[in-house]
Amino acid sequence: MKRKTFVTLSLVPAIGILASLALVSVAGAVWFALMNRTLRSSDYEFVGAYNFLRLLRDKRFFNALEISAIWEVVTVTGTLVLAVLLAVLIYETVKKPLWRNLICFAFLVPVLLPRVAAAFIWRFLYSPSLGLINYLCGLVGIGPVEFLADPSLALISVAIVDIWQWGLFFTVILLKLMETLPRDPIEAAMLDNARTWEIHAYVTLPMLKAPIISLALVKAVESLRSFDLIFVMTGGGPGTATETLDLYAYQMGINMGGRISYASAMSILLLIVTTVVFTIIWKAGKKWAA
Amino acid sequence: MANISCTDIVKSYGAYPVIEGMNLSIPDHEFVVFLGPSGCGKSTMLRMVAGLEDVTGGRIEIGGTDVTDLPPGERGVAMVFQSYALYPHMSVADNITFGLRRQGIPKSEIAPRLEQVAEMLGLAPYLDRRPKNLSGGQQQRVAMARAMIKTPKVFLFDEPLSNLDAKLREKLRTEIRKMHLQLKTTTIFVTHDQLEAMTIADRIVLMRDGKIEQMGTPDEIFERPASRFVADFIGTPAMNFLHATMEEGHVARAGGIAITLDPEAFPSLKPGQKVELGLRPASMDLCEPGVENAVTGTVVLVENMGAEGQVITEVEGEEMSFVTQRFRRLSQNDTVHFAIRRDKVHVFDPNTGQSLRGV
Amino acid sequence: MGRLISVTLTRALLALLIVVALGPILWTVLGAFKELRDIVTPVPKLLFSPTLENFATILRNPTIRDGLLHSVIVVSASVIIGAALGIPAAYTLARHARNWGDDVQFFVLSLRFMPPVAIAIPFIVIYLDLGIYDTLFGLILVYLITTISTVIWLSVPAFERVPLNIEEAAAMEGCSPFEIFWRFALPVASPSLFGALVFTFVLVWNELLLALTLAAQNATLPVVAASITSLGKEVPWGVINAATVLLVVPPLVFIGLLMGLLNTSVQSGRK
Repeated sequence: MKRKTFVTLSLVPAIGILASLALVSVAGAVWFALMNRTLRSSDYEFVGAYNFLRLLRDKRFFNALEISAIWEVVTVTGTLVLAVLLAVLIYETVKKPLWRNLICFAFLVPVLLPRVAAAFIWRFLYSPSLGLINYLCGLVGIGPVEFLADPSLALISVAIVDIWQWGLFFTVILLKLMETLPRDPIEAAMLDNARTWEIHAYVTLPMLKAPIISLALVKAVESLRSFDLIFVMTGGGPGTATETLDLYAYQMGINMGGRISYASAMSILLLIVTTVVFTIIWKAGKKWAA
Repeated sequence: MANISCTDIVKSYGAYPVIEGMNLSIPDHEFVVFLGPSGCGKSTMLRMVAGLEDVTGGRIEIGGTDVTDLPPGERGVAMVFQSYALYPHMSVADNITFGLRRQGIPKSEIAPRLEQVAEMLGLAPYLDRRPKNLSGGQQQRVAMARAMIKTPKVFLFDEPLSNLDAKLREKLRTEIRKMHLQLKTTTIFVTHDQLEAMTIADRIVLMRDGKIEQMGTPDEIFERPASRFVADFIGTPAMNFLHATMEEGHVARAGGIAITLDPEAFPSLKPGQKVELGLRPASMDLCEPGVENAVTGTVVLVENMGAEGQVITEVEGEEMSFVTQRFRRLSQNDTVHFAIRRDKVHVFDPNTGQSLRGV
Repeated sequence: MGRLISVTLTRALLALLIVVALGPILWTVLGAFKELRDIVTPVPKLLFSPTLENFATILRNPTIRDGLLHSVIVVSASVIIGAALGIPAAYTLARHARNWGDDVQFFVLSLRFMPPVAIAIPFIVIYLDLGIYDTLFGLILVYLITTISTVIWLSVPAFERVPLNIEEAAAMEGCSPFEIFWRFALPVASPSLFGALVFTFVLVWNELLLALTLAAQNATLPVVAASITSLGKEVPWGVINAATVLLVVPPLVFIGLLMGLLNTSVQSGRK
């Protein structure tokens, strides 16, 4: 088989399917966004930019936008900060390979859980009447706390679950990366009498800059897919306290009356924003990490 | 019958040229070494002969057949890589015989050939092992066996010894040379190690910046370097260079140093001409003061190399070194006299770097 | 003495961390074996008489059984097709695409930036119009976006780690590009590729949104599990715990593998 034939045969089916599915969904979303289609009736007509103009006057949309932004910032920074702190802590205090591996195994478990399962597990733990956490709070005289029903606590309570899953996972990755770092610069710093935290702040972590940036990016992409977790834990409530854009689009397009066109307009905006932002971050991140 | 001829070879990556118009012809049975600093294009040249790199322009022939556009498998060449490139998922025996089995050669024919090759390279006890369970030297022997068993028209070696330690390198070097004396297969061997090249080659092609700097037997390259670059690259310790001006009587003068040159070797030199002299440390030795071509210096450092020693001296503010067996009685700040025979002096044009010998 | 205290404190902190990591899951597993009256207590019970009733309930429930079956079919089909198409494509991108490979890879990666809801909304209408709404085929098709792109994304580095010289040595022996891929690159890269497939499997097995929107009767296990909030008057916490355990087991089987994958990719990532 000639090289060209092989290249064509191996690439065309995979990329063809991906491209056509992507094209169908994007083109479909654009098309529906310009109509006034609903799930209930199959009649629809062209309405131009009407859906987009309505979005600009939709307070709930802007609320969802804000919740999404808060969610991204809280989960990404929370995950990274937790991972860096725990990785340094374990690197410094656990020296035996066996114990390190056991901790790594334990830390890998949460991320493998299906989001739906993690959501159920924590809903159970958070429950005001029979949850373990409220029991522990009760022992020290707090509560019962309505973790998921209190609008000021709900979002952070769900974010904790996300950070629990990803922060522990990233801890393992960072720990493994730290183990592969060359020892020489660290030993040089030790000879210079650097304190432990100084070694990590000025030597090890800067050496891991590039992987940490890519981890942040991976987490940022992954945080966009938190629909499952929020949907099962709070359904966007109480009220709209945890309603992110994808939840709102889902509620609009499928649950409440199936306003497909309106939801399409929303998902297009979401698509544009994420694509632009991530393309910029991706290219900048590559340059910055290099 | 497998001579190799490369005509007007050009290779560029995008607009960046790596090899510019190279012409080379290698007769049958010859062991040729491509030598040069890293980035000189020697590996690229080898890979183009192998068919692993496309040729941007020019023509490559092996045994009279134009192979320029043939895939590597159809050129009748076998290659040994620096990293050995053994197939990690196959046993040693399968590694060696893969090519033959692939061609559909019957097992009954493969078995004796495998036995013969394994015998020759001392691999018989390891045939069932996986490559990762072998030492570096053994892995390189497997790679050589894999190349030999195909009885190719041409052997290509791409820095095959660079990943081995010094002792093993010397041993395998001898083995490769012996193998060539026995099989007489046309061979191209790439290395950046000048000592390796000198010891193993019938002919050395010394390359620099994608061009051939000099082509010749190890003796020619060592004794009659075509340029300052060649003279500097070949030989340890490295050559001393000295800027000088010609005077009457074929004498080159640099300050207080006067070196008389061989008029037959350098007939074109005129008084007043600027030249650069090349003096090999190994061609110089201690002498009595006042002898022809004697230089007087102060000892800076003596490096013990076992049988002989390299003496680094300061001569009129410049460092110069020479090699002597009588180094043990020398110590720092001693004044020494050393000289070179006039037929051992090399003279180069200070602007072009070309040798001014002959013509 | 001060040293002893600090050592004890760190040990306690590490133990607490392990409890935080594993505790929630273990508590759920425990809950799965409890009767409802052992769950709904003001003081959490560690000692109770275990029951298999919750598992019996979910396995007797036809919706959950169907959900499990659908999950198995949809996930295995989409992962197998994703592997069959994605792995050769990844190899070509790693080896034969000098100038345009990066652009193709960026396109593949950009599919992972795409919010799932942006796929779900248009597809529900298109599926309704085409009559493949609520079919397993429809789910498999839409999951191919995830599986093919993830397989490519993770397999390109796996193939790049195969030493190029090995493939060149094979080419010197006359192998065609397909033979080099099939007989050399694939076996040498297979451990990392297997890890990539497992990761892809976990992603699809855990997926909720697309299954929730594009299927109703033929939904997968996460959808069914998400919909058990009440079977009767009280919240059936025991049953929910049991369903959670059922959902959790398959991905957890692969934890050792994920660890191995992590070790190799971390080590070869920085030489």
